[in-house]
Amino acid sequence: MKIVSRITAVLTLAFIAVFAVMTFFGDKKDFSAEENRCLAAVPEPDKDGLYDGSTSVQLGSYVTDHFACRNSWLAAGSLIQTQLSESIVNGVYVTDERLIDTRNSGESIVPAADVFNSFAEDNDGMVYIVAVPTSAGVYGDVLPHHIVRRSESQQISEFYDALNSDIRRIDAYNILKMLKDNYIYYRSDTKWTVYGAYCVYKTVIQKLGMLPTAYDKFTIEHVTNSFRGDLYNRTLSEKPKADIMDIYDNRDGTEVVSCTVIHSDGSTGEGVVYDRSRLGTGDMYSMYLGESVPVMNIRTTNNSNNKLLVVKDSFGDCFVPFLLQHYSEITVVSPEDLEGKLSDYVNVGDYPQTLFLFGTDSLENREMLSRIKA
Amino acid sequence: MIYSSLLFIYGFLPVSLLLYYLTPKKLREIMLLILSIAFCGLVSLYFMIFILWFTVVNYLFTHLIGRARKNEKLAAVPLAAGIIIDLVALLAFRTEYVLWLRRLIRAPESFYPVGISFFALGAIGTLIDVYKGRIKADRCFTRYGLYIMFFPRLIMGPLLRYRVFTNILDNRCESLSGMGVGMSLFVKGLAKKVIAADTLYMLYTAAGNEPVDEMSAVTAWLGVVAFIFCLYFELSGLADMGMGTAYCFGLKLPQSFNYPLLSTRIKYFTTRWQSQTVQWIRRYITKPLYGVCPKKWIRETVFVAGWGIFGLWYVFDLNGLIWGLLMGLAALIESRLSRNKVMNFTGIIYTFLVVILCGVFLSGDSPAYSVRYLFAMIGGNGVIADAQAFYLFKSYIVLLLVTMYASTDLFRNLMTRSGRNRFKTAVMVVSPVLVLAVLIICTALISYSGSSEMLLMKL
Repeated sequence: MKIVSRITAVLTLAFIAVFAVMTFFGDKKDFSAEENRCLAAVPEPDKDGLYDGSTSVQLGSYVTDHFACRNSWLAAGSLIQTQLSESIVNGVYVTDERLIDTRNSGESIVPAADVFNSFAEDNDGMVYIVAVPTSAGVYGDVLPHHIVRRSESQQISEFYDALNSDIRRIDAYNILKMLKDNYIYYRSDTKWTVYGAYCVYKTVIQKLGMLPTAYDKFTIEHVTNSFRGDLYNRTLSEKPKADIMDIYDNRDGTEVVSCTVIHSDGSTGEGVVYDRSRLGTGDMYSMYLGESVPVMNIRTTNNSNNKLLVVKDSFGDCFVPFLLQHYSEITVVSPEDLEGKLSDYVNVGDYPQTLFLFGTDSLENREMLSRIKA
Repeated sequence: MIYSSLLFIYGFLPVSLLLYYLTPKKLREIMLLILSIAFCGLVSLYFMIFILWFTVVNYLFTHLIGRARKNEKLAAVPLAAGIIIDLVALLAFRTEYVLWLRRLIRAPESFYPVGISFFALGAIGTLIDVYKGRIKADRCFTRYGLYIMFFPRLIMGPLLRYRVFTNILDNRCESLSGMGVGMSLFVKGLAKKVIAADTLYMLYTAAGNEPVDEMSAVTAWLGVVAFIFCLYFELSGLADMGMGTAYCFGLKLPQSFNYPLLSTRIKYFTTRWQSQTVQWIRRYITKPLYGVCPKKWIRETVFVAGWGIFGLWYVFDLNGLIWGLLMGLAALIESRLSRNKVMNFTGIIYTFLVVILCGVFLSGDSPAYSVRYLFAMIGGNGVIADAQAFYLFKSYIVLLLVTMYASTDLFRNLMTRSGRNRFKTAVMVVSPVLVLAVLIICTALISYSGSSEMLLMKL
């Protein structure tokens, strides 16, 4: 009896000690590629923080983030969690097929319509808007009953109804819903694939007054087959297969002449439409349009003199390259990275057409959208 | 900082064990006090100051009472003052009623004194015991400080009398095998909290997501069963972790939960569920009242009222009170009705049913909601089972059955009865590996957020 207890003591305490020491003395990373986020920094003790306990909360998350072998622990954790009960890990529903977000902020996207209405009133150019459902909106019907997700199709149509009549709306939801058996959404991400973007592009470009480039004009290159997206970052679950990222290249089409970006600190620099170096990082998705910047200006060999302003969130990253075929100049704005107002960076009056492209999840973000307002 | 967090298991626990065993034996009690103060400081500096003040004030009051004891009337003044202070502190943080006190002591917005339900009652009990002359006011501040602050007792008790606690301190005996027992207890508690309680909580919230007037009967049953089991595993898990930690320091705390669910009688349930708190209420509230009540029916009313207080101690609102009163009433009715022996199996069934039905009140927000819920449980919404119920049943039935087994004493009995046979040897041999494996599983489960903070009740 005693000997068993002794063995237990030695085993468990040794295990705890080893991991405590490894955590304390191990290498500390600032950024986790697997989770695609910055890890917590060492808390700096200050009087107020110690007093109300926030420093110890920070210490807790520091230990958690830098715990030895964190990634293996996380992967094991999500494996066990899915076996234990429902397949929900950190708010993500895990199936063999795909990962689906179950979190529900409860915010309505309808109030966001004000922002676009006032934008359309203030500017003379034509305004187009695409509200793109997230993967949960298209594939959400497999979720268990008790996860009350608002229906994205209903949200989008209510949002569209709240828009002024002179704003052109594009019904991405039904296009995507019809094609749901195709590879239009990543298995491990909330966002659409390039193919999903292409299917919506065909409709969008017609609304914008041009003919879409046919599918067979493109040569499709699979740049990676090991992409794991933002839902993977939250679960580290490798249950669904890794995703494929594609580049659609139209050899006969227009070429990019220049691509300048404005960084959030105001400095300008050179950008690229496809930044393959990003494939080596944790944030593979940023291969499209490179690292996120507030403003990107792309000029092409197209000599139609058409200019377009695109205001988008990350859904737009793989969508914009399709538009390059048709315009001699496109300015891409990400309100997420803007510091200040849209009008501080871009003279909206120069653009006869403005395209807004947002996922329903960012339409909930009022603070971010308010930067669009003049 | 809760016991089921990486910071505690892989930070505070090993460091405190190391410091403790490096200290010479004579100074170890002081070391424990320092560690406990550090633990409070890690919750927040404000909490540390708060609990130190609380300790000092109560320590002084015990001595005031001790000095004035010769004159009983004079001694009653510090006694009353001390009890009022402790009760007001308890009410101020457990309820929304005494908010001025929080403002008065400039408590930070989110401040909650961890374990106040335990240490405030402990302090009150000690004041009364000193007044009654059952114990002498202890000169040793270290021991009194430990009584209030000892960190393995802080979060989930057990609520002990001062004399019992000092006895435990006197019988301290550190050994490696004791640490082994402690670590297995700790891991057992961790598993109860992280594996059982947290997953059952998912079932409870999933079932509760449906509006109560559309809920099917099966969903309602699943929800409330999950709640009761979740509550049991959460409270007893935290208590086990505390007990295990104390074992590692060579101190043997008594257990609070002795497999209460699936008892064969309601009476057994009431003596096995959080037994130290129930005993506290009996010792300091109901028993003195029995003495002055000549009539039987008054004594029985007092008994039920005692349970009402216990309910309030869990949740300070009407629902908590109703839960307590119902449990007390059930125990009373049982003792009236069944003087002859009941078959074990029948006993288990009706006890469990009573516990579940009363549990509806503990889980609800308002009596009206709970009544609606009970209505749903008997199929009052016209639906026995729907797709939702089938899904939940399918996803959780294994877990429910396993936790149900784990909440009984069947395995323990099997081990004690089997004597020295092969089965027992086999279990003994694999147990160290099993403990380690469970520790690893629990670590993996809490690795994402770093702790499992979900609490049905803040005590």
